Amino acid sequence: MIWRKSLDIFLLGFLILSTACTPPLSRKTLRPGSPEDLPGCYAIFPSEPWESVHKIEATFRGGGSFSLLGVTKGEPSERRLQSLLLTPEGFILFDAELRDGEMAVRKAVPPFDSPAFAGGLMEDVSLLFLPPQEKPGGWGKETDGTMICNWEGPDDSDTEIKGSMERGWRILRRDKYKEVIKEVALNGPFVNGLASHVELHASEPAPYTLRMTLVQPSP
Amino acid sequence: MKQFVFLSVLVTAGFLFSEIAPAQDGTSLKEASRNIRSVKADFLQKRFLQILTKPLLSEGRLFFYTPDSLRWEYLNPLRSVMLQKGNSVQIYNFSEGKWKPEMTQAVEARRMVLAELSQWFQGRFNESKTFKQGYSPGPPARVTMVPGEGINRFIQRIEIVLSARPGVIDRVEIEEPGGSRTSIEFRNVEINSSFSPEVFEKP
Repeated sequence: MIWRKSLDIFLLGFLILSTACTPPLSRKTLRPGSPEDLPGCYAIFPSEPWESVHKIEATFRGGGSFSLLGVTKGEPSERRLQSLLLTPEGFILFDAELRDGEMAVRKAVPPFDSPAFAGGLMEDVSLLFLPPQEKPGGWGKETDGTMICNWEGPDDSDTEIKGSMERGWRILRRDKYKEVIKEVALNGPFVNGLASHVELHASEPAPYTLRMTLVQPSP
Repeated sequence: MKQFVFLSVLVTAGFLFSEIAPAQDGTSLKEASRNIRSVKADFLQKRFLQILTKPLLSEGRLFFYTPDSLRWEYLNPLRSVMLQKGNSVQIYNFSEGKWKPEMTQAVEARRMVLAELSQWFQGRFNESKTFKQGYSPGPPARVTMVPGEGINRFIQRIEIVLSARPGVIDRVEIEEPGGSRTSIEFRNVEINSSFSPEVFEKP
């Protein structure tokens, strides 16, 4: 009886420990896959110069929200992105450029004038439209055609993309504790390589959601 | 109220100018304005930005009732409406299936932008010391407004293109330094038609 109780406690302890030590279920350890599958890791990122107009609906914890137009232009070969936020009237509230990791804010009208906002917005735009600079650490193609790729970041963070053009894609950004801090869903139809519907959920520093609808794709 | 100066002046001056087109001078403006009670129109706004090869298109409609009631509404791609009735100004965005009042900070941002615009458009066109006016009989007839020192940092020129139909303007062109410009084309313009005063109160 005592032996049985000890076993139960041991099993319970083992279960707790193993659960605590297991990475989140959605995270797979990936190894470098087939070279011919590697281009699939870049399928959602435009490779040629492009521009777009999105309708953006942002909601924040506490119920705050805004609707604006987002204009973005990309030069992938230079890792260059320019991003504007406009009111429905077409007034520019925010204009910034990111080139090789360096950000230059050209215009920022309150409440979009904090460095934290500019940094956060350009980080989101990068996550959506620029692949990480390094080659993914692991990738693979599942039997149903779903691609899964993982990039390790310099600060132990990582970025994972998973999906297909038919079923849509997910981008997951994890912090050094492997907690998902940003999750993006990209759904078709894909127009000139750009998803028609994008939804980004961020959990930190403050939770917010961006819903983006493609209004005008690249020429 | 300042924030609507741009739109109010744009609408009233635009239509009033079109009304006085036959008279072809600004001194007839006040006289012509007596005949204007209301304006209703659809519009297509084309925002030309240097970043974009194609203009950003927005569609909307407006209702105006003298002296200071205005509904300026965007229908596509964003649904947004600005309502002015007297001194009361409200801004709503259509989001997640319902109209939501614009978040305070965002309103402030837009007020700031619109206030900036209002600086360009202080006063009536024919009384403006800020803009130098010119009239070209065309066709199409055009009223050109060129700002003076200071305001020309934000705007280079406004051109109001008049329709051959009395009381109707075809479009307003606003040129900014740096190459960006906005064109607003008016369609289905109705002068002095009747509509519910509720259009200025509810989104």
